Amino acid sequence: MHIVVCVKQVPDSAEIKIDIETGTLIRAGVPSIINPYDHFALQKAIELKKAHKCKLTVISMGPPQAKSVVQLGLALGADDGILLSDRAFAGSDTWATSYIISKAIKKIGKIDIILCGMQAIDGDTAQVGPGIAQHLAMPQVTFCEDIKIDSKKIIVRKLIDDGYEIIEAKSPALFTMIMPKDFEPRYPAFLDIHNSLEKPYHQWSMCDIGAQEQYIGLKGSPTQVDRIYPPPKREKAEMISGGVSEAVEKIVDIFEKENFLKI
Amino acid sequence: MPSMDTISRELMLDSLRNYAKKNLFHEFLREKDANNEFPAEILKEMYDQSILGVHLLLIPKEYGGISGGTFDVYRVCEILARIDLGIATGVFATFLGTDPLSVGGTDEQKEKWMTRIAKENLLVAYAATEADAGSDLVNLRTRAEHVLKNGKLIGYKLTGNKQWISNGGVADVYSVLAMAPGGSSWFMVEKGTEGFSPNKHEDKHGIRLSNTAGLSFDNAYIPKENLIGGVEGQGLTQAQAVFGYTRVMVAAFGLGAGWEALEVAIKYSQQRIQGGGPLSDKQGYTHKLIVPNAVNLEAARAYIEEISERLDGGEKGLQTEGAIAKYAATESGNKTAEDAIQALGGYGYTKDFSVEKIKRDAKITCIYEGTNEVMEMTIFRGRWQEHLKTRGRYYIDMADSLQSLHLESPEVGADLAALAARALAVIMEECRAQRLTRHQHITFKLGKLISLAELAFIFAKRAAAVEYTETIKFDRNVWQAMSRVYAKNAALQIAAEGIALILGAAEKDIDLAEALNFNTIQALQKGLISDMDLIASKLKDTFKAK
Amino acid sequence: MITVLNKCIGCGKCVPVCPFAAVQMIDKRAVINEACTLCGACVQVCPVDAIIIEREDPIHKDFSAYKGVWVFIELEHIHKKGKAAGTTIQPAAKKIRKVAYELLSEGRKLADTLNEELCAIVLTDKNTGYEKEIGAYGADKVYLVENSELEEYNTDVFSTVLVALINRHKPGIFLYPATIMGRDLAPRVAASIYVGLTADCTALSIKDGLLLQSRPAFGGNIMADILSPNSRPQMATVRPNVMKLSEPLGKAAVVIKEDIKIDKSIKRVKVIERKIVHDKLSAKIENSDVIVSGGRGMKDINKFKVLEQLASSLDGMVGASRGAVDMGFKEKSRQVGQSGTTVSPKLYVACGISGAVQHIVGMKSSDIIIAINKDPNAPIFNVAKYGIVGDVHEIVPKLIKAINKRVNSR
Repeated sequence: MHIVVCVKQVPDSAEIKIDIETGTLIRAGVPSIINPYDHFALQKAIELKKAHKCKLTVISMGPPQAKSVVQLGLALGADDGILLSDRAFAGSDTWATSYIISKAIKKIGKIDIILCGMQAIDGDTAQVGPGIAQHLAMPQVTFCEDIKIDSKKIIVRKLIDDGYEIIEAKSPALFTMIMPKDFEPRYPAFLDIHNSLEKPYHQWSMCDIGAQEQYIGLKGSPTQVDRIYPPPKREKAEMISGGVSEAVEKIVDIFEKENFLKI
Repeated sequence: MPSMDTISRELMLDSLRNYAKKNLFHEFLREKDANNEFPAEILKEMYDQSILGVHLLLIPKEYGGISGGTFDVYRVCEILARIDLGIATGVFATFLGTDPLSVGGTDEQKEKWMTRIAKENLLVAYAATEADAGSDLVNLRTRAEHVLKNGKLIGYKLTGNKQWISNGGVADVYSVLAMAPGGSSWFMVEKGTEGFSPNKHEDKHGIRLSNTAGLSFDNAYIPKENLIGGVEGQGLTQAQAVFGYTRVMVAAFGLGAGWEALEVAIKYSQQRIQGGGPLSDKQGYTHKLIVPNAVNLEAARAYIEEISERLDGGEKGLQTEGAIAKYAATESGNKTAEDAIQALGGYGYTKDFSVEKIKRDAKITCIYEGTNEVMEMTIFRGRWQEHLKTRGRYYIDMADSLQSLHLESPEVGADLAALAARALAVIMEECRAQRLTRHQHITFKLGKLISLAELAFIFAKRAAAVEYTETIKFDRNVWQAMSRVYAKNAALQIAAEGIALILGAAEKDIDLAEALNFNTIQALQKGLISDMDLIASKLKDTFKAK
Repeated sequence: MITVLNKCIGCGKCVPVCPFAAVQMIDKRAVINEACTLCGACVQVCPVDAIIIEREDPIHKDFSAYKGVWVFIELEHIHKKGKAAGTTIQPAAKKIRKVAYELLSEGRKLADTLNEELCAIVLTDKNTGYEKEIGAYGADKVYLVENSELEEYNTDVFSTVLVALINRHKPGIFLYPATIMGRDLAPRVAASIYVGLTADCTALSIKDGLLLQSRPAFGGNIMADILSPNSRPQMATVRPNVMKLSEPLGKAAVVIKEDIKIDKSIKRVKVIERKIVHDKLSAKIENSDVIVSGGRGMKDINKFKVLEQLASSLDGMVGASRGAVDMGFKEKSRQVGQSGTTVSPKLYVACGISGAVQHIVGMKSSDIIIAINKDPNAPIFNVAKYGIVGDVHEIVPKLIKAINKRVNSR
């Protein structure tokens, strides 16, 4: 079995700041991390690899420094790593991104399982996973909390609105993963990071994967950003003044007027 | 050993930070600090190869380590210090403890001990200090006497006492310096050796999570294969060979502790509203308690990085540079921690906030690995030699190179750094001409002024570099403003203090103002306040309160 | 353009999967006839990648034929209430999810601006008169696909049918709910037909005849307006509770039955078990009329608990900001905001929440927002209807007392 796990490097959302005057993002000093959903997918893939002796490839797309998340995958146990990096990829939306990644996966060869994070915390779109599945003509199950291989079948536990489903799929198939509440991300030990430098690692460009220029980057992306702007300021609240007791009474008045008090 | 690639290094630091985030939160550290308790289980995990294995950094690859370079070690030490300086010291002691071995050990000894330290996750202690032998190891009292069998040397008997040994009570193996018949020598001593016992854990002002204890040797038998290098009398050479980079480690401690405290203060200042606005918007606060510390710490960072890169490039020794790094970074770190308490006011004085502990912890960096007064002396001695050897050209050459840097990059304050170096050259030459170095005070002060000039030089040089290292959290224009502020201050301080030193000691009346270019230094102070304003506002953006 | 390459081995797998009987085997080779809608179902099953769909160069595409605003109508099973936790769901009747009405309400405005039709897309095993409710929220038409294979949602089946419908009727705009189903389905369709798809839009409008899609970006720190000028339909997903419902009208939509054949073999995954968990903990915050939320300002998990009392005295539920969830004050399922749940209760009380945009986008359409925060400049006051500057730890306990006193005095 050959598993591919797709990971993305994202800015740490807890650290993102915005310049209130200009409405632009302050990038200096914002650390990059592996997208937490991908981190979960990666750990699940490593579990599968260990339990079933699968081959595991970790793949990412991004600028050269995104090598970091690929190497993290290698250090945690993946067998080989691929970074899709090319200036021509810049500005790709979810359509173009899933096209590029699908081309790379085709180049890898016969794949049995693809795991992705449910979504990336910098975009929250959840579109790239299904996009890759469609481009590769593979079935998909999204929002999976758990995945197991049972002889030839793949069994996943998918979150639904008020419960879960157990779904059976045959390889090849793509799954997007969402971590349960108690997920504890693992980080590699120093020696594993050091040794990961000796594992096979490739950086592939547009030409390497045979992607067509018209479908990638800004030009190949069907969605276009028209405008970026700070969130609109709204009218200020009516401030309730006075001492605490007085203010509290005023709120209770509002509750009473709007019928929020229990009868 | 060259350092690792940036990505691998950052991954290791991430693992370290995430370990700390999960296990070493404020309440835990506070409790251990209050109880004066060594967190043995934490150190064990940090040494566990499958969890972190930080100690592998200093062990060569062939013995199961990862062959980290100085830049790697500097970064790990900085992050460790940001977590807890006591734990950092415990790790550092292992680094230090393996040094005599890596410098002087025979291949067989390295193979045996390094492999064991790596694989068995051994805690190591470095035992040199005694009651009468601190930085000055000449008065070493611990003796190593020959043990003969059939007239052949088979080992040594160690007798004596060691003092203030980090990891002293908890280490698995010790590097012990003792006086053998052939001169001072290092011995590898395992815990449990008969006749050897550690004393009680000290009750310290700070770094209370670090175990510190004395060691007692009473005819403790050590086999001769444990004599590091196999030859007696190599002890002092082996001890001094690594001062360059061990001092970089302590410098990184000062840097890390200082930045940790400063970040707390910067975040606090945005939330504390006084007189209708946050403290972070008030010059009286920021330009006294925040900005100067940020500038000094970043200058120290630039210098530490320069020296780390040179050591990684294969340069040997660099003892004066190591001393400058240690002196500048730990003085700044300690001062920053102190100011951070002030910046938090009453809150800072309570144990609810981390700055109170950081302040107590940071103080040790000014004391261990050679007190900062010993550093002033070392710096002076090293550079005085250069001054004499070059017939006074050492700092003039530095000034000339800064002058040409200023033509290429006018925004880094290289003009002022040049004036600082030139003024220093004048002062040192005047000291020589008037034989003023007979005053110890002047020599130590010169150590301080030398440190100022050299940091200004390196800061300007690195601020002008095309690419910054991954450690710089600021945009170019901000880091360059920091370099300008540092250079302005360095030039002014060297000129003013230099005048005071020389005129204070000299017998004849002289006017140095012109020789020191005092007027130009004054004139170039222009723009200082607006630079500080910029830095204050960007610090606020970079360390935004949540 | 669809082409069958010479490497076709004549296995015949593509024949039954075609929803339009557009594939025939002639001389042991697949031949595609003019009934083809380029849905790609055959491409998905071909074992040797012999069928290729080439897309037209979007720049030179003529979009004049693409008209109408479409809304995907998500149906949900009706469960009997009070089922014990962990019981298997039995197939039951289905109803339209509320988010579908929200999308229709918004779609109506877009259709009016464009002077085009609003159409609802219903995929089901059995129509139970959905056109009445759909019409009430403004739809002109319902494209109805009725087939026993549509009883349950399946990605392969639903996406194939939608692609076929799009290719047949050429809508200009297609909106989906950003639900577990919609977020599974829409990107699949978008990838298949090479069109733009914008996730989690918080506002939609028409700009120069194009759909202007607004959404928060970078964790909600900034807003972005997105266009898909060179592909049709322009597709977007919208979270439940983001768009306002319009007043229901008394008209029904015209039903247009679509005849699409569905072969079982295109279903490649199988649900073997479905469990619902009905207990108090899993009660959903988006269904609560009153929400009391806390942020980092609640300081610690114990102090956070006082909000439970306040919520219970108002018969509401407790929510939390991302910061509070990150600090472990409350479970993730109660997180309100861009990366949590979007809510629009009648009353939202924000305690110790500064109001990062990421939080505000998740609660701003609440009817009444009351904010308590010690920082007078906290952005939460920009969305609140009423604000109190002060210490939540002092105010909340007093508020609980005052409410109880008032209730008891009645």
